[in-house]
Amino acid sequence: MKTLRQRYSVPLTIMMLVVAFLCVFPIIWLILSSFKQPNELFSYPLHLFSADPTLVHYQNILDDGFMRYVYNSFFLAIVGTLITLAISSLCGYALAIYRNELKYVNFVFGIFLLGTLIPGETLTIPQVSVISALGLYNNIFGVILPVVTSTTGIFLFRQSYMSLPSSFVEAARIDGANEAKIFTRVMMPLQTSSFVTLTIFSFMWRWNDYLLPMLVLSDQDNFTIQVAIRNYIGTTRIDWSSVISSSVVSMIPVIIIFVILQKYIIGGISAGGVKA
Amino acid sequence: MRIKHSSLKHTKAFWLFVTPSLALFTIFFLVPFVLSIFFSFTDYDGWKTMNFVGLNNYKAVLKDSYFWDAIGRTLVYTVFSLPFRVFLPLIIAVFACSRKVAMKGFIRTLIYIPVLLSSLVVGVTINWMFSTEYGLVNYIIQSLGFQPLDWALNSKLATFVISFASNWSSLGFNMILYIGGIKSISGEMYEAAEIDGSSPLQTFLRITLPLLAPTTFLVFFLSSINLLKEYAVVQGITQGGPGVRTVFIIQYIITSGFSQMQYGYGSAISFIIAIFFAIIAFLQFKLSNKGGENV
Repeated sequence: MKTLRQRYSVPLTIMMLVVAFLCVFPIIWLILSSFKQPNELFSYPLHLFSADPTLVHYQNILDDGFMRYVYNSFFLAIVGTLITLAISSLCGYALAIYRNELKYVNFVFGIFLLGTLIPGETLTIPQVSVISALGLYNNIFGVILPVVTSTTGIFLFRQSYMSLPSSFVEAARIDGANEAKIFTRVMMPLQTSSFVTLTIFSFMWRWNDYLLPMLVLSDQDNFTIQVAIRNYIGTTRIDWSSVISSSVVSMIPVIIIFVILQKYIIGGISAGGVKA
Repeated sequence: MRIKHSSLKHTKAFWLFVTPSLALFTIFFLVPFVLSIFFSFTDYDGWKTMNFVGLNNYKAVLKDSYFWDAIGRTLVYTVFSLPFRVFLPLIIAVFACSRKVAMKGFIRTLIYIPVLLSSLVVGVTINWMFSTEYGLVNYIIQSLGFQPLDWALNSKLATFVISFASNWSSLGFNMILYIGGIKSISGEMYEAAEIDGSSPLQTFLRITLPLLAPTTFLVFFLSSINLLKEYAVVQGITQGGPGVRTVFIIQYIITSGFSQMQYGYGSAISFIIAIFFAIIAFLQFKLSNKGGENV
């Protein structure tokens, strides 16, 4: 007890707690606002808590068909993540395992490196042309397929399979396993933590995707939550009631995932370069 | 004979494993990149017209004052935001690693939470606090007896709000990068400093800061790139207003391409900006390698 008292400084701890609280305060303020009566939102004095909490803002977006957007966002995030996991684990694995056997492996790796040089945002105009040419305009797959190739995911798997001794693969080959079986039965089960890390990040990236969905999903039935929020913001006057409640809904899944799976997220960033 | 057979099998397996990623990457990244070069020499309107116009688009870009304004604005915004973006998370990370601070895990978790929000929602959340009428910040300002500020109609204040939102949402991420860097510094260094009677400030300036240089460098470059391509946060706050006073370069590309149906012209701008980003990324690669050699 005595050592504890010596170790921790109360003023420093309080200062850091205040900083941390200030960081989440804007989010708390938005959440508390979402339960206020419309007249409480737009009149002074402001209060932290509503005198008469209401769900009217949530009712507004439900009446607008918000569940459809929630469904589309989940579809984008889940299907996008499954494809990303499948193709980047295969690709990263191949780039790691065959790097000493085949000459052009590093050349292929170099092609993917190009993707890290240029931000996708600068290529949206021709990307939308390609999406349209493939008949994917206003189709949820038009915003899934362009973004599922994740250089981060490929790097992550390449790195983690390079850390395994190559004797694993050689032993399995001697036992007569074919290349596909070696991947699915021997190597894949050894990298569950990479799968978990990429699942979390990919889900959050796709859930928060904004630019391409906004440009490609023109029909209201196909809107994701992010596109719907932008639509509520409008061009002249913001529909705050809908913007606030839909923003709060959009935070729920990512915050739940973070609270449960924190260590994978922090680990993924510290281990090197998984971008948030 | 046997070796040749098995290496052929491995070649097949390699291409089979790589093709899904490579095909999608080619269709949605390499092809668009080549297309953007191609479009940039035409007057394509995204619909029917497409004539070869030579270098006209590029000549027009150089004379386009809106383009240069957008570039200038983006650079000013980036330079203004960078110090906060790079040093604030560093200071917070130092305290979030300090032996003297209790509940470190809880503190880091709270600071990280804003990183989880989409950029659009980051914009919305901060915009709601800075709303000119009935916003919390103006309410506090008025309660203290000052005049409320016109956060949306004054272009400097509007830029400040965007910068505030963007720096707020990246604070936790950069803090985690710094914490990783601090943890990799050997504890013996700090013990030796403590034995020698070094003050906390001296320890920070003489040990933490110099040894963290590679992390600081990483944060500096990641932040520069993210600030230069700021887009979604702005959509949640000003959508480019007042007028075009907060239109940054990515928004300018998108507006000229889609809203004004000038795919060819937009592509020329895209290509110039893409090359600009590629140069920054290349410099980062070169400089960080060099830094590694020197250490």
